Amino acid sequence: MNLVEKILARASGKPSVEPGEIVIAEVDMLLMHDLSGYLTSGVYDKKVGLPIPHPERTLMVFDHHYSPPTEQQADVLHHNREWARRTGINLLDCGSGNLHHAAVRGGFVKPGMIVVGSDSHTPVHGALGALAVALGNDSHAGTVLPYSKAWFRVPETVGIELHGVPRPGTTPRDVALWLTAQIGEGAMNYKALEFTGPYVKQLGFWDRWLFPLLCVDLGAKCSYVEPDEVTEAFVRALPGGLPDDFPRGDGGEAASVLRFDVSDVVPQVACPPTVGNAKAVSDVAGRPVDYAELGGHGGGRIEDIRTAAEVLRGRTVHPRTRFNIVPSSREIFAQAVREGLVLALHEAGATWFPPSTGSNQAINMGAMAAGEAMVSTHARNFPGRNGSTDAEMYLASAGTVAASAAAGEIAERSTP
Amino acid sequence: MSSREPAEQPGRHRIGGPTITFGESVNTDVIIPGRYLVSIDPAELAEHAFEPLGPEVQRRLRASRVVVAGRNFGCGSAREQAATCLLGAGIQAVVAASFSRVFFRNAINTGLVAVECPEAVTALAAAGGEGEMWVDYDEGTVETSGRTFGFAPYPSGLKEILRDGGLIPHLMRGIERDEQREERAAR
Repeated sequence: MNLVEKILARASGKPSVEPGEIVIAEVDMLLMHDLSGYLTSGVYDKKVGLPIPHPERTLMVFDHHYSPPTEQQADVLHHNREWARRTGINLLDCGSGNLHHAAVRGGFVKPGMIVVGSDSHTPVHGALGALAVALGNDSHAGTVLPYSKAWFRVPETVGIELHGVPRPGTTPRDVALWLTAQIGEGAMNYKALEFTGPYVKQLGFWDRWLFPLLCVDLGAKCSYVEPDEVTEAFVRALPGGLPDDFPRGDGGEAASVLRFDVSDVVPQVACPPTVGNAKAVSDVAGRPVDYAELGGHGGGRIEDIRTAAEVLRGRTVHPRTRFNIVPSSREIFAQAVREGLVLALHEAGATWFPPSTGSNQAINMGAMAAGEAMVSTHARNFPGRNGSTDAEMYLASAGTVAASAAAGEIAERSTP
Repeated sequence: MSSREPAEQPGRHRIGGPTITFGESVNTDVIIPGRYLVSIDPAELAEHAFEPLGPEVQRRLRASRVVVAGRNFGCGSAREQAATCLLGAGIQAVVAASFSRVFFRNAINTGLVAVECPEAVTALAAAGGEGEMWVDYDEGTVETSGRTFGFAPYPSGLKEILRDGGLIPHLMRGIERDEQREERAAR
């Protein structure tokens, strides 16, 4: 059995499971943000109302808000805080960072766990060797909160094997965006994806993170990187450390394997209207941008902030563009302060925002007027997601975002 | 056209009516924009269903009973309201070439019939694009443009969830049954 099958077998009390089988499995962690938490708690109170035997298995993170701009939004957060107090679930309030980054940093996700959540990017926790699947509010309110259980169809697994050494200037984010276009949106519907191969194995944890992040746009149910020494060293340093025992795959190859050579991949931009619409940066260079942002599920990492500081060394943000930086967690902001990156980027003209999920869905920031454009490290670019349906969102690496902020238009980072 | 009418089939789970057709990879930001996600009320959500596509599409949606779409319907965010807003607008079923898995799960959990039947989608398009479509999820059939197509019937567990109007009503009904059984046993 591979990792996904091992985890599902263990959590459903079976010696083994096979693809296609439906199992009822014990859920270890439910992740909710301020919006999905409001809905799930509302459904729970109105329609379910049973006791919650394991409140410690639920984490709510306020990440779409860092300071509510309207009374209605303040009501949402107020309700959530009251509900968290009443039920005893874990709550990380405004300023804690992006839901998924904060969950990992806080030690709430470990290898071998079953993690569920209403956020469609929940499968990103496969980067730690967890089985992480996006469900819906009714599943959470109806089966996860009262019984710590959910049903799963055991997915077929497809291996995504990456080979080669990319050219200088091409980052893991570029490879991930390129891969979305290569494989095709929705092409992996219901599958589990295992990201593997020499290119993946040599990446650090937060660069591996960018691959399971995109699996939802391929339609996959979940994806993972088999835990190895990189994973173990990373998890060991988190609160709670490395579990004594967790499932590992048998090491066999998936029934179906797609192999890609990343040697010739050039820096990519996912253009509107979908994540799979990735093009070479050089194809869209020159498109003026009103906003550039490091933030969201895929950005606001220390790697991104360091890159931005390098790109802007001796330069300033273009007057046409606002360059917004959103650290992915409190820890990352502290790290950026210690490394002198906060002052350097501030003086280059960037604006720092509180740790959060930034402009995701434009709840607390990031709305655009018709005709405006943003280039960002975010995970989605559907029209209308950030204000006007006639505004445009371009998704790229931190290097491209910072170079575009300096140029006032989409621009490739000059090769370091 | 099929001469069978729903009235001739009492007790059967045949639903449908006028269609509204969309293309491929319709995402949840188009179905229900993120700014309306604080609501879980189907009627309130229905006012904003497909708002990004304009009032004419919204008017046609309300006059329809079946949403027809190409592949990967409901991709993007995992929001359950993408299913609830359609129910609020009077939609009884979505028939698509394929669904994003989260939309499919949310549809069943909220009691919205979601059927994968690419042949029916193609047949409707070939017959001019709009008309009527009828789904029988007991039989596993979709009727449109005078032809009947099969689809793999739901497993019995999913049929029961749909029959009870969604996952939570289904679970609560199960709990009520358990309690009644315990009460009887205690007597």
